[in-house]
Amino acid sequence: MLAFTIRRLLSTVMVMTTVAVFIFLLLHLSPGDPAAIIVGDNATPAQIDAVRKQLGLDDPLAVQFVRWLGGVLRGDLGISIFSHEPVNKLIGQRIEPTVSLAATTILLAVAIAVSFGVLAAWKAGTWIDRLVMVLSVVGFSVPVFVVGYLLIYLFSIKLGWLPVQGYAPLADGFVPWIRHLILPSIALGLAYVALIARITRTTMLDVLAEDYMRTARAKGVATGPLLMKHALKNAGVPIVTVIGIGVALLIGGVVITETVFNIPGVGRLVVDAISQRDYPIIQGVTLIFSGVYVVVNLIVDLSYTVIDPRIRY
Amino acid sequence: MAASRRTFVKGSVATAAALSAPGLLRAQTAPSKARTVRAVLHGDLKIFDPIWTTANMTGNHGLLIYDTLFGLDDNRDVQPQMVDKWNVSDDKKTYTFVLRDGLKFHDGQAVSSADVVASIRRWSARDGAAQHLFKRVADTPIKDDKTFQIVLKEPYGLVLDALGKIETNLPVIMRKKDAETDPNQQVTTKVGSGPFVFNEDETKSGQRYVYDKNPNYAARKEPPSGMTGGKIAKVDRVIIENMADEQTAVAALKAGEIDFYEVPPIDLLDQLEGDKNIKLDVLNKGGNVGMCRLNWLHPPFDKVEARQAMLHLIKQEDILKAVFGNPKYYRSCGSLFACAGLMQSDVNTDWFKGGQNIAKAAELFKKSGYDGRPVVILQATNISFMNNASLLVAQWLKEAGVNAELAASDWGAVVTRRAVKKPVAEGGWNIFITWGSGEGFDNPIGFVAHTANGDAGWFGWPKDDLHEKLRDDWALAATLEERKAVARKLQENAWSYVPMALLGQWAPPVARRANVGGFIPIPAHVPFWNVEKT
Repeated sequence: MLAFTIRRLLSTVMVMTTVAVFIFLLLHLSPGDPAAIIVGDNATPAQIDAVRKQLGLDDPLAVQFVRWLGGVLRGDLGISIFSHEPVNKLIGQRIEPTVSLAATTILLAVAIAVSFGVLAAWKAGTWIDRLVMVLSVVGFSVPVFVVGYLLIYLFSIKLGWLPVQGYAPLADGFVPWIRHLILPSIALGLAYVALIARITRTTMLDVLAEDYMRTARAKGVATGPLLMKHALKNAGVPIVTVIGIGVALLIGGVVITETVFNIPGVGRLVVDAISQRDYPIIQGVTLIFSGVYVVVNLIVDLSYTVIDPRIRY
Repeated sequence: MAASRRTFVKGSVATAAALSAPGLLRAQTAPSKARTVRAVLHGDLKIFDPIWTTANMTGNHGLLIYDTLFGLDDNRDVQPQMVDKWNVSDDKKTYTFVLRDGLKFHDGQAVSSADVVASIRRWSARDGAAQHLFKRVADTPIKDDKTFQIVLKEPYGLVLDALGKIETNLPVIMRKKDAETDPNQQVTTKVGSGPFVFNEDETKSGQRYVYDKNPNYAARKEPPSGMTGGKIAKVDRVIIENMADEQTAVAALKAGEIDFYEVPPIDLLDQLEGDKNIKLDVLNKGGNVGMCRLNWLHPPFDKVEARQAMLHLIKQEDILKAVFGNPKYYRSCGSLFACAGLMQSDVNTDWFKGGQNIAKAAELFKKSGYDGRPVVILQATNISFMNNASLLVAQWLKEAGVNAELAASDWGAVVTRRAVKKPVAEGGWNIFITWGSGEGFDNPIGFVAHTANGDAGWFGWPKDDLHEKLRDDWALAATLEERKAVARKLQENAWSYVPMALLGQWAPPVARRANVGGFIPIPAHVPFWNVEKT
């Protein structure tokens, strides 16, 4: 397994290099000029040219790429064109809200979805099964921002239970932290609940039909241990795979959710940067998101060996 | 060892208390909610140097922490602000200024003439109106710590107006060491002498910008009026929140999480009007004026007939209705100087009075020798006014027999492409839509879109020597009446050679919580002095 892990980590370097080249070219070949945005709408062309020169944006693309890549290799993602702050620092400031949102969403989604999936499989063909499946379809079909606005309208404006927007750091206390995360996590997690619940149900149905399950039932194993210990553990590999994919997909959802709920996370950082063509931020965040994606996939692959001892690399 | 339930509960309470302690501590040191105003303005604050950029968000930041030598009052008369006394020599070439007592920067250092001269010198390298003034400045001698002069080569009527201008780039006064920064580099410090102090510790870039009341601010005794008078901070803290989503900002306002929203979306105004806790006010009476910039470098708008055709083609009312809906927030306007200022007139506006005439426009395009080539309109789809106006202009052009093509992108891409001077086939353009402030339009010198100096000018690059001469005449005019007379000549000439076409004027309201008031109405910016919360 060590060899497998090393091989995967080495391939990660290749993937990240490809991503770096791709992001850089995509950004710099797309229309948009941070110099024109930075000096304001009423600036003259001469003022824009001066800023472009000052920022090094008039250098050949290859020179700009080597300069950026050199920084990345030293762990320096560059300086924001607009705020003049190091990108590392800006991402560092924004990482807590994003990690908090992603973690609560995954926890919520997994807890609800696996329970629902197991329940639906156990009660297959009944109204409970149908209800879970209908909710899954709805959860998967309604966009995050629609769910978000509906939740804000109901729980924040009408009932006044939870804040409309913003983020309270964990250092300000657990209660304000979780209060600010409940609605965004529900909005973001709904699609994952649907996805994971459906996969859990399907896999559980297969496992429940296995001979060893019939044997367990015949031996008098109670329903709880039967479902959770005998069935769910054996259905684990596809479920963990979907959760892993869900974490990767979550990155896209985080961007929208952070905008709707005004959470100052990495997603908002990159959305603002895109509208202003703040290249170093976009490049830095995309590179980190790609790294997260690769690492999550690696962790999922490695976790198979724990869930199913028959799997060895 | 198995933990008992009691141990678990104790542990949980202790953990919660430990996690909450920093927040409780911070809550005790921050001003109370009743002494804090939270506002969402029209964008994010990225640049902190109001001399360097024309961005109005930076202008808002500038008004909070800096002060200016002069300002325009509610009647648009120039009044001294940081200046105590001033006089001009008999030959009208030497202006002498004396600063008020007690002016201090936020670091405790007294504001001196050296700071002022360094600041206005820096401003003269960035601002159009300042450049026009400083072309005529021979020297800016410092007489003593509080006295300085502006010595002109020839009399110039707009010295005080320029120093008191409200449009960006703002002539704010910085510390000498900051103002001596290369004018092409941004000043990143945030130390002024204004009514609020920037709170770096509480500010989170891209999230919120925090300003605390300046306890050492030396306010004028006069009541506040426009940019002048006593700029008294009546709350302890102003927090500018960056909220990208309009719907979220409206919900936050309704829920009382913010107190002020500068640009509530037009389609949600009805919803806000029905809420007794929300008030809508039009603070910026001059509002904004839409303009259709025509590229003079390439056919068809290199020909005057094609440009004149645009005047007959556009129906401002339709564009404004499509974007703003409620007529109480917009008006059509034929004046080159917009319809809220001192320079407006109806000279040479028969095209406007006659209304839309597509047949006439088609005839003029034909007369211009238009050969059916594509006319590219840069359509910024992420900004509703630009998007809708582009669609309508394209439609009318097609009706007039012009092969109009929409080049859809976001505004970020438009600002890049509009700088391209090459022909359309090589990435150039023919039309782009934008707007300027009504206040800006009223000033032929200060507003960059009023230049007609060709390649050296603003996007579209109109060129007309008479227009440029009249702009100079306007600046040199000794009285307001003389300026108005020159403005009429400017307009008469402009609507003959047509530097651009206008798309109407609008002044949308701001939204505020009913318990927050005292906002001073000034163009394009939101000042926070005099704002109270009950």
